[in-house]
Amino acid sequence: MRRLLLLVMLVYVLFLWGLGTLNGALLALAVPLIVWVGAALVWGSEKPKLRVSRTLGTNRAPKGTPVAVKLSVANEGPLLEEVLVEDMLPRGIELVAGESRALASLGPGETVDLEYTVAGKQRGVFAFRGVEATTGDYLGLFPRRASLPASAQLTVAPETLKLRRLAIHPLRTRATAGPIPARRGGSGVDFFGIREYQPGDPLRWVNWRVSARHPRTLYTNEFEQERIADVGLILDARRRTDIRLNGNALFENAVRATASLAETFLGDGNRVGLLVYGGFLDWTFPGYGKVQRERILQALAKAETGDSLVFDSLDYIPTRFFPAKSQLVLISALCPDDPPMLIRLRAHGYQLMVVSPDPISFEARLLKPDEAVDLAVRIARLERAMLLRQLRRAGIQVVDWQVDKPFDQAIHTSLSRAAHWFRTIGVAP
Amino acid sequence: MNETPSPTAKALPASIVLATGALGLGYGLNGSWSIVIVIAALGVLWLVGQWLGWGWTASVELVCFVIIAAVGLGMRPGDGWMLAGAVGALSAWDLHHFAQRLRGSGQVEGTRALERRHFQRLLVVDSTGLLLGAVALGARTELGFGIALLLGVLAVLGLTRATRFLRQQSD
Repeated sequence: MRRLLLLVMLVYVLFLWGLGTLNGALLALAVPLIVWVGAALVWGSEKPKLRVSRTLGTNRAPKGTPVAVKLSVANEGPLLEEVLVEDMLPRGIELVAGESRALASLGPGETVDLEYTVAGKQRGVFAFRGVEATTGDYLGLFPRRASLPASAQLTVAPETLKLRRLAIHPLRTRATAGPIPARRGGSGVDFFGIREYQPGDPLRWVNWRVSARHPRTLYTNEFEQERIADVGLILDARRRTDIRLNGNALFENAVRATASLAETFLGDGNRVGLLVYGGFLDWTFPGYGKVQRERILQALAKAETGDSLVFDSLDYIPTRFFPAKSQLVLISALCPDDPPMLIRLRAHGYQLMVVSPDPISFEARLLKPDEAVDLAVRIARLERAMLLRQLRRAGIQVVDWQVDKPFDQAIHTSLSRAAHWFRTIGVAP
Repeated sequence: MNETPSPTAKALPASIVLATGALGLGYGLNGSWSIVIVIAALGVLWLVGQWLGWGWTASVELVCFVIIAAVGLGMRPGDGWMLAGAVGALSAWDLHHFAQRLRGSGQVEGTRALERRHFQRLLVVDSTGLLLGAVALGARTELGFGIALLLGVLAVLGLTRATRFLRQQSD
């Protein structure tokens, strides 16, 4: 359109100049310019009738993984002399290979195909909205722009780590066999106790040593039943627990940890639910298997930190979402006022594990070291150590994760028997 | 810098040289050598700008060439060369933008066909403009001041309305 304005301005100038100086030759010089405008008008394009279809190679991909996009633009109207098709990529998605723009001449019924590869730069749910088509005459004076709908959604899921089996001991388990000790005698692997022989018990379970001491009675060994359990993951998305420095966010580590935990617990056959607790409550109803894994990853992909007066403290964690006496895992950097609610959860019979990405080491790593910073870090570490000790004393499993270390290493070190023993004798593992 | 498809890459400098040559010849025939040097400098600047991919040169150069042609129109026998120079500048300006469109569009389907059709249209428009311009230059009509004023007002109003209409159509 700027080009048209330039031509029209030149025509105006020549006209006014010619009339002002009564010089007809100047009017004659304007003639080729007028012919141009007229020709562009005559050959100008109609309103484009285009149909766009889009195919994504996959709807879900981890960050940085290439995803193929196929875009087909069909002309359902008359000849379009020049059509520029441009796919508007959502923010957070980058072009890795190929071209997302194409210039073509499209006859009636003809199609132009675009094939390119994109990758997600960050976690999230990204909506491809539409395609921008600019049609014009060959002289390019009258471009017409149209937005064509071609929606699709790409979920860039958080990265997940394959963790080894995590030892959890909820007070109540479900009826189906699984890997979690059920605190109940029956068939299993680990010794649980001894009881009187009952008809139907296998003979190899008979405890002959005990039975020898009681001549008239037979005793059999009992093993601890192993069942699956309900696991509730609570991701703390309160803005005040997040730290953002130099483009790094502590919350991203919490999201990755949650995704890894969900994958591990679901992989063991457990029933897992997710609550994202922040600006609002985002609840993923408990479920099993791959479908639930997809639901949880979808919820985690769009998880954002938020502020809310109501959910500013953990006091409003809706415990009704989680079955009584089930296993809860809170992933949170923790605030000083959080322990009372966590201790209350424990008192209600929930088996609670807190995975806490360490905000102090995260922030200290990104700050320029000086005397004041060192002192502040020492004080903050002492406060945090007190906070974690308070939780451990209440029988809460605590994983203090310094995010520069791999999560699997941190969680298995914290939950190992040796770590428990070290803590018992008062030495940090 | 991306490589421009060859026919456009050849036609663009040819148009610039043609426009510069025509205007230079027109002024040269009248002995205005200082203006010839200015025109040559402008032509070289346009070529360099096109080579380096400067987007602004084409429009600025078109305005300069049209003004130089308008100034030179009073000189006989250079009238025809001025008209040819203006049409050449118009072609170069169009080809410059066409080359930019081809370069900036990523994937181009049927480049040769697009170029061929563009050149055909350009040839038709240039020939018609040159022909009608030459006819208008040769025509001699006596117009009174009132009629000239009326024509001027009509032309300005007509062009304004046409531009507004076209802009609405584009939006």
